[in-house]
Amino acid sequence: MENVNESAPILKVEHVKKSFGDLHVLKDISFDLKAGEVLSIIGPSGSGKSTLLRCLTQLETVDGGLVQVDGKDMVVPNDSAKGPAVKYAPAKMLREIRLSTGLVFQNFNLFPHLTVLQNLCLAPVRVLGDGRKEARAMGRFLLKRMGLEGKENAYPCELSGGQQQRVSIARALAMNPKILFFDEPTSALDPELTGEVLKIIKKLAEDKMTMVIVTHEMAFARDVADKVIFMDGGVIVEQGTPDHVFRESGNERLAQFLSRFTNT
Amino acid sequence: MSELSTLLPILWGGFCTTLAIFGLTLLFSIPLGLLIAVLKMSNWRVVRYPVSFYISVMRGTPLLLQIVAIYFGSYYLSEYAGVDFSFDRFPAVIVAFSINYAAYFAEIFRGGIQSISKGQYEAAYMLGMTRTQTFFRIILPQVVKRVVPASANEVITLVKDTSLAQVIAVTELFALAKKQQAAYASIYPLFVAGVFYYVANLLLSVFFAYVERKLNYYK
Repeated sequence: MENVNESAPILKVEHVKKSFGDLHVLKDISFDLKAGEVLSIIGPSGSGKSTLLRCLTQLETVDGGLVQVDGKDMVVPNDSAKGPAVKYAPAKMLREIRLSTGLVFQNFNLFPHLTVLQNLCLAPVRVLGDGRKEARAMGRFLLKRMGLEGKENAYPCELSGGQQQRVSIARALAMNPKILFFDEPTSALDPELTGEVLKIIKKLAEDKMTMVIVTHEMAFARDVADKVIFMDGGVIVEQGTPDHVFRESGNERLAQFLSRFTNT
Repeated sequence: MSELSTLLPILWGGFCTTLAIFGLTLLFSIPLGLLIAVLKMSNWRVVRYPVSFYISVMRGTPLLLQIVAIYFGSYYLSEYAGVDFSFDRFPAVIVAFSINYAAYFAEIFRGGIQSISKGQYEAAYMLGMTRTQTFFRIILPQVVKRVVPASANEVITLVKDTSLAQVIAVTELFALAKKQQAAYASIYPLFVAGVFYYVANLLLSVFFAYVERKLNYYK
């Protein structure tokens, strides 16, 4: 056993596997992440990036391996010969883990029938039991941080895509998560709107928010991350510091993948 | 014109019965329809199959027949079972209408519920909301907006369907108008009854247009 100290990972992933029928989407994924670090996951479409993110946020279940969040076992290999290959934590623990992780979706998934502020306050009030007043104050504070002052009574449909995505980041932050996951946060945005969202994520990185970001924005992935993972065909082909992955790696698949971005 | 002044109070009495059938049917069939819609989406076949069968019978046979079946069926069944129970005419009509309309509403509500994107459930799940919270705070409010146009159709049809209650001699608007037709030896009373139905539905249309506009505050 390793010592529990400052450098203990807040997210630990070991030998994670996931299949949809005969399709092995994740083959053997291992990495870890320390608190305050930012991890970018890059790779071609169909490489398993989003599936990995969905497994880590419990939107999908894994078929093998171990996932540990903030020192708590979310799923561990099943040692006994019988039964499934993995053993998930009890529902109560899974919920606790889920509450310590936030997810920003590609398509925002804001609640369209609620105002911006209601989107932010609903879960803190109903799930965490926060007071209505405190929740609203926190919501307004977060909106200010997102550069969305004055939008609290707007409905999501009245906002631009970039604004909607910033609201959804605020909604996730309102739950005070320990790790924030991003599933291609700018892929549904017009090119001229991606900048405002990336700027917010960069600001969060400066504030030492622990984040895992699946993205196609290569320059952003390099600039914001402490660590980069390149996935292809369900495996991690290369991982390390941005410098290592973007400059020093001699990996051919990675070089081929990156060349597609520099050529455009 | 004196004809109309004697005819109107008579028809008004029938119209009140019509309104009672209409109101009570909505009162019972909408919550029941919601329950049936949820049951039809159950993961358990033992729940889903009987519910599907129920809906197919309700939609596949005439409401007229269902009214007769509830009224006389309950009578024969209690006779057979040796219990002293049978429906009075009016409650029998309410039961038949409610379970029939619940089946139609259930299918409308089910369509509405299933049209909500998976992302809404996932967002609520990630925020730690329970399934009950997700349904009542996130899904249902959005479903309401989507089912209003289709439900308005059903409600307007219901106003006219109330005339079927006459099959077991409930004296609603149309039954009374028919009686007056014989007395007057003219179809004039039927025509006046038609105006009653039309005005009622005109008001409902205005109401539903208003509701749709009210719910248009988001897309």
